[in-house]
Amino acid sequence: MTVEAPVLDVEPVEVEPGQGPMDWLRKNLFNTWYNTLLTVGLGALLVGAFVAVITAILGADFEIVRVNLRLFMIGQFPVDQLWRPWVSTYLLAVLIGFVGGALAAGARDRALEAGLPYTRTTFRQILLRFWPIIALVVVILVFTTTPLPSLLTLGATGFGVGAYYLARVLPRAVRRWTWLVVVLLLAGAYLALAGFGGVGWEDWGGLHLNLFLTVAGIMFAFPLGLLLALGRRSTLPAIRAISVTYIEFVRGVPLITLLLFGALAIGFLIPRDLRPGLVTRMLLAITLFEAAYIAEVVRGGLQAVPHGQVEAGQAVGLAPWTTMRLIVLPQALRATIPAMVGQFISLFKDTTLVAILGVLELLEASFIVNAQPDYLGKGLFVVTLTFAGLVFWVGSYTMSREARRLERKLGVGER
Amino acid sequence: MTERADFTDATRATGEAIIELQDVDKFFGSFQALRDIDMKVGRQEVVVVIGPSGSGKSTLIRCINRLEKHDRGRIVVDGVELSDDIRNIQEVRREIGMVFQQFNLFPHLTVLDNITLAPRQVRKMPKREADALAMEMMERVRIPEQANKYPGQLSGGQQQRVAIARALAMQPKVMLFDEPTSALDPEMIKEVLDSMVELARGGMTMIVVTHEMGFARAVANRVVFMADGEIVEVGSPEHFFTDPREDRTKLFLSQIL
Repeated sequence: MTVEAPVLDVEPVEVEPGQGPMDWLRKNLFNTWYNTLLTVGLGALLVGAFVAVITAILGADFEIVRVNLRLFMIGQFPVDQLWRPWVSTYLLAVLIGFVGGALAAGARDRALEAGLPYTRTTFRQILLRFWPIIALVVVILVFTTTPLPSLLTLGATGFGVGAYYLARVLPRAVRRWTWLVVVLLLAGAYLALAGFGGVGWEDWGGLHLNLFLTVAGIMFAFPLGLLLALGRRSTLPAIRAISVTYIEFVRGVPLITLLLFGALAIGFLIPRDLRPGLVTRMLLAITLFEAAYIAEVVRGGLQAVPHGQVEAGQAVGLAPWTTMRLIVLPQALRATIPAMVGQFISLFKDTTLVAILGVLELLEASFIVNAQPDYLGKGLFVVTLTFAGLVFWVGSYTMSREARRLERKLGVGER
Repeated sequence: MTERADFTDATRATGEAIIELQDVDKFFGSFQALRDIDMKVGRQEVVVVIGPSGSGKSTLIRCINRLEKHDRGRIVVDGVELSDDIRNIQEVRREIGMVFQQFNLFPHLTVLDNITLAPRQVRKMPKREADALAMEMMERVRIPEQANKYPGQLSGGQQQRVAIARALAMQPKVMLFDEPTSALDPEMIKEVLDSMVELARGGMTMIVVTHEMGFARAVANRVVFMADGEIVEVGSPEHFFTDPREDRTKLFLSQIL
């Protein structure tokens, strides 16, 4: 596995004033005979590929996806328990809306306090930012056979929007407790699925499981990676040695090896009664693996912070840990956003590897449905894989775009 | 030695010493950066340190707030001797403000947050009080209108004045300046020096590494000339302009004046 650079949009080339688009075309695409040849050749290829893909998608019979949609989304979650994912979805919608509202209100208050102009996010901006996700949800809803999921999704969106406006009007003293709301809603969303005789994550599947492994993996691996990076720079030789050994060992091993080790070897090492479930062991393997990579990303960021910053912190009398927390880490982490998000995107896609242990995540689901009697030997892999690929693309692309936005936002006043 | 005599006299003239260095040596590997440094700085005294590059001027003042650890000798700041104890070091650093050549402002924080960070974290001052203090300091260096900007949005001269305000916000007893105008464009040097002159006239104890002899003439009680890690000559600014004794001093002054 490699660290991937996030997908970068190409900035639009500015047309100089006094020049029409035709001039621009002539100057940049048709200025020499071989450039003209390249432009025409590649243009034809692009158009051809585009037409072919669209025709294939429009012409394909997505019945296999439609019939197995539930399997793709939540794996073998019991049908009579379907209210649980929905309750969980509603809680998460409220969570996202509330945090969004609290962040917007915070930005508004800060701008007002500093006497700077504040422009609120418009509906159009939200659409532009999250169109891939919105489009995917629409596509999925089109695939559903009853109107109920669409109605429930609309309801969840409504709850999210409501929570957004609620958080915006709440006084600052209440908004200070946003973290508690986040913790409670996360716990609630989990309990709705797994609590009260529900279905634990060992039996989750489909896209739901991929998302869970990604989010939980990031949540656990990030702090661990941070500690390892700090450990690697520690002045205590023992801590440095442990960190270096760990990082270099884990980075030298493929994720699949760690997953297999977690699944098979740990089984022999730990008595059956104490043995954590298969998915737990997967999560553990993913966390330990990602932490080593995140540690190296963070270390790169730490090195990018000039030593003068530490000295300035020391000179005003800040304790070493305070200097690290308030001066070095914020700058280091900001410098690592591109690499870090690349790592998170890799993690999202790597969650498909748990399939080799027979866990029914999205990619595995899109394979096995082709073995169903109705579709066996019909060569519908293209259809199911296209669907799975689209889902992963939407997630990865959104992460990448949001990271770029964050980078720009934090870049305000950068030296 | 005659220079030593000058020293003691000057110290006596300004009262009890707030900073005292005795036989301080400092090595970087096998290179000796400071050699037998003896120095006393009295309360409210302004000392300007000059000397060719690599002479140990910066190392000297960086030893006083323990950004560098001295290898031999004693350094006592306001009655506290610098030791390896981190609490002891932090106690000394709270009393000493420092301004760097490269400003070293925190680029991710606004000007206001740059200044209030240490009072809030170290002195545990409430935000409102720290903000008021910061505004007062910004007015002293004449940049109150920049409070909500980021350092990257300011000119070099403005940044250096923010750095001075940041150091002052800890209400230090001593201010160290490590070539504060060397990284500035010529037209911005004056605004920073003006702030420093004002500070000196207000009675701040200052040790300033600089080549701005105009500044030395205006406010310095003493000028210390260093070369090769040693203090070569000490005297009043007038002494340096009219009657430098050592050949090394004469050579250096002829190069910078």
